[in-house]
Amino acid sequence: MVSQVQHRPIIGVSPDGTISGRSQGAGGSVRPLTGSEYGAIQAIRANRPFRAAIHDEVMAASAVLEVSDFELYYGAAKALHAISMPVPRGKVTALVGPSGCGKSTLLRSINRLNDLIDGVRIEGDMRLNGESVYSPYVDVIDLRKRMGMVFQKSNPFPMSIFENVVYALRIDGENRKSLLKETCERALRAAALWDEVKDRLHESALGMSGGQQQRLCIARAIAAEPEVLLMDEPCSALDPIATLRIEEFIHEIRGRLTVVIVTHNMQQAARVSDFTAFMYLGRLVEYGPTATIFQNPRLKETEDYVRGRFG
Amino acid sequence: MVWLSGMALCLSLTIILSLIGVVLWNGFRTFWPAPIHLVTLRDGSTFLGMPVRSEAYESEPARVEALRKTDIEGALTTDGRVIRTLYRVGNKEILGEPFRWVDAGDIASIDLPPHAVLVERLQWGPWIGQPGAIVSVEEVVIGADEPLVGTTDTEHGSRRFERAELNEAGGGGPRRVRQTTFVCEGPEETLRAFGPAHVAAVARRTHIERLKEEDVGVINRELTALQNGVRLAELRHAEGAITEADFGAIRASSEQRAGELRAGFSTIMERVRRLEAEDAMHRWIVTDPGTQRFAPISQSEPGSPMLLSQVVRCVPANDIGVVGKVRVYLARWWEFLTDGPRETNTEGGIMPVIFGTVAMTLLLCVLVVPMGVVAALYLREYARQGWVVSAVRVAVNNLAGVPSIVYGVFGLGFFCYSVGSWVDRGPQAPLSPQSWWGIVGLTVVLAAASIVLGLVAKIRPLRPDSAIKMLGRFLSLLGWLGVIVGVGVLVVRLPYFHGFFRERPAATFGTPGVLWASLTLALLTLPVVIVSTEEAISAVPRSLREGSYGCGASKWQTIRRVVLPRAAPGIMTGMILAMARGAGEVAPLMLVGAVKLASELPFEASFPWLHLERSFMHLGFHIFDLGFQSPDSEGARPLVWTTTFILMSVVVTLNITAIGLRARLRRRFGGGHF
Repeated sequence: MVSQVQHRPIIGVSPDGTISGRSQGAGGSVRPLTGSEYGAIQAIRANRPFRAAIHDEVMAASAVLEVSDFELYYGAAKALHAISMPVPRGKVTALVGPSGCGKSTLLRSINRLNDLIDGVRIEGDMRLNGESVYSPYVDVIDLRKRMGMVFQKSNPFPMSIFENVVYALRIDGENRKSLLKETCERALRAAALWDEVKDRLHESALGMSGGQQQRLCIARAIAAEPEVLLMDEPCSALDPIATLRIEEFIHEIRGRLTVVIVTHNMQQAARVSDFTAFMYLGRLVEYGPTATIFQNPRLKETEDYVRGRFG
Repeated sequence: MVWLSGMALCLSLTIILSLIGVVLWNGFRTFWPAPIHLVTLRDGSTFLGMPVRSEAYESEPARVEALRKTDIEGALTTDGRVIRTLYRVGNKEILGEPFRWVDAGDIASIDLPPHAVLVERLQWGPWIGQPGAIVSVEEVVIGADEPLVGTTDTEHGSRRFERAELNEAGGGGPRRVRQTTFVCEGPEETLRAFGPAHVAAVARRTHIERLKEEDVGVINRELTALQNGVRLAELRHAEGAITEADFGAIRASSEQRAGELRAGFSTIMERVRRLEAEDAMHRWIVTDPGTQRFAPISQSEPGSPMLLSQVVRCVPANDIGVVGKVRVYLARWWEFLTDGPRETNTEGGIMPVIFGTVAMTLLLCVLVVPMGVVAALYLREYARQGWVVSAVRVAVNNLAGVPSIVYGVFGLGFFCYSVGSWVDRGPQAPLSPQSWWGIVGLTVVLAAASIVLGLVAKIRPLRPDSAIKMLGRFLSLLGWLGVIVGVGVLVVRLPYFHGFFRERPAATFGTPGVLWASLTLALLTLPVVIVSTEEAISAVPRSLREGSYGCGASKWQTIRRVVLPRAAPGIMTGMILAMARGAGEVAPLMLVGAVKLASELPFEASFPWLHLERSFMHLGFHIFDLGFQSPDSEGARPLVWTTTFILMSVVVTLNITAIGLRARLRRRFGGGHF
């Protein structure tokens, strides 16, 4: 249950510098791999054309989000290489992979948070319910309202608990007291926080514990009833009990909400997700039902990674 | 090195502590009542005075030799310098100099006469003397059976009543009016009777002042307004905006109203004259023992004793004990803090000065914080971080290093004379309406073009910059600069505007005033606010902004709801620094609004309440004025210390208030260590 945040790069970075940007893994120790069983990784490291192993179950599911040939550059450095993957509707999809593999970048591309970073440019597209995410005509604000996001570090706003939860409604101009109260209670109950804070809704959110703050952020993300919930390592800064509560929350909403979760914790991915995508050096390597990925993956690299042999 | 740095710190601390100590000691000492000495000199003459300080000075050898021969104790120091004492002797009308140096060797004896009093007066500074008598005359209407003449002794024995008939014809037949003269003689009795008599005299004086200032003031204000109205109508008539008949009607109605007002004015003045005549019946006699002359009503009438109502306070300093001294001390502090200045600022209080300082500082905050915050927001949140923004940032930082007097000159030239006269009388050289509308059209076209070019620069935001986008951005910038110039020209040379106050004979906003002073100081302190706001904004964690954007907030919503609240303590820090700097500035204020004596506060109880065009008094300038411009430098010297202490207190109080506010914000919004 203890989160296993991995600080050490599993596999060395090739000297041609195909990954860079904010990658933590860049410049780490190089441990050359040998053996023909690592064909996929060798192809990636040599920057050869490479096709991700996407299982049929994924393709068969109805997709809420369709990523097609998506590439992203931080200035001159390419962080995502031609990612194509569907995200099944109403399911929990986990993105796993070593540090710097582009999981978070991919997640943040879905609601276009990367737009805020100077020098980012993209190729390819994503489609949410068939509508382009990156079309020049799309309203980014509106797009983000359709997705909730939970970050690695809890980030409650400098306002009361109540105002934090109903933030998304407030910025939409919603001022009806009854509706706001109702939404607040529903979101806090969903995030299993209601009983702890119902008597101090109007106190500052900054006085809560770390786990409570993260659940508050979850309540805030789901208050406006988004279609997709994006979670960027939501438990990496939490203790086991708080982690457990958040995993329970994900179980609770399974089926009602599409969740995309980035995690470093293999056990967590195995516990909470329906589908798992393994990424490496900015590329999608294998993507399939979680049970298959963890028990019987197609690629040797995936098996070694999920069993912790590289970490 | 440890020792060196430690010593440097000690030295700094010592200097700061001694500064505070000296200011506190001298500031608090000012109002403590000094004893009154009756000094008898060796030549037989006497005078009353309060010792201020003693010192030793080099005198000519013959004098030193003479003193050495007389062998008077305490006349010389061991190294042969002459010791002298400065006495405050007051009584300016007869003695000329209110201070007097006396060599210790010349003094035969010093007594502490129990009944000597220091009389603080409304005019001519203090009078030190022996109280002789109080003389009051009252006229009372009496019944037919009461006697007209007689004498009654009161319980104090030496008081007596003299009665005399005064003929007066009333409206309902002859009335019997008795004039009662109340005489109280002897120092002790006079002092005892002074209290109640003085209270009544002060009440009369206050009544007269209220009539003169408030009632007459209301009439004067309305008369001026009528005059201005007629003048405005005349101007508009000359322009052809109103007809001859309308102008005539306005003039006629104003003249009629002015006639009524003048009648009301005469009524009030008649009452004032009567009250003043009554007031003149209550006098008292305080004699200077050296010259045997009493305090006169004015310098030109030495034979007429002063009025009781001319007395601010009477201090029998040798006779009141510690408790009495404390009461006098507190009463003087109260007067100092709540009254206006008298006698070219060397007496009375500094209430208008404190008020002016606080008002100017608050106005400064109100002006500088929004300006600074908006500028910092643009620099940090909206502008593309590049060499232009860096250059602007360097320029802003350099503004903080410009000598403050430069801001004063700029404020006087730009705000007072340019903007102010524009507000008063409209543009100096208005354009013809045709060319004005032509420029309006041009500016609109330019603005539209700039918007279009700006949109060109926004095409495909996440794809690489093309030459067309760069060109679009550059041309758009040029276009906007053109629009700014165009709007400037349109405002400066607007043909349809003739000023808000063109009917007034004197400039209103076109002279130094508290608004221009605050604006000038706002410019002066702008860099401080911009820099600290920028720091506070950039210290807001990225995760908070992303959280807000992730909820679907726009940039402005994120700034307003997340960034600004979180940065508020840092912005407050900027405000505190700006306040501390602004409240202490003197040099620019001398040019743009601070004056030696402002007859009116920039705020009053009647509409429109705020008069931001008025000049004001400022503590910093007041200190300079007391110390270096005062005709009575010896008398003003203690007030310099006290005023310095007040300036320090005002700045500290304002800062503590702001710091308390910041602490509350910090508790609410967390973070932020600026």
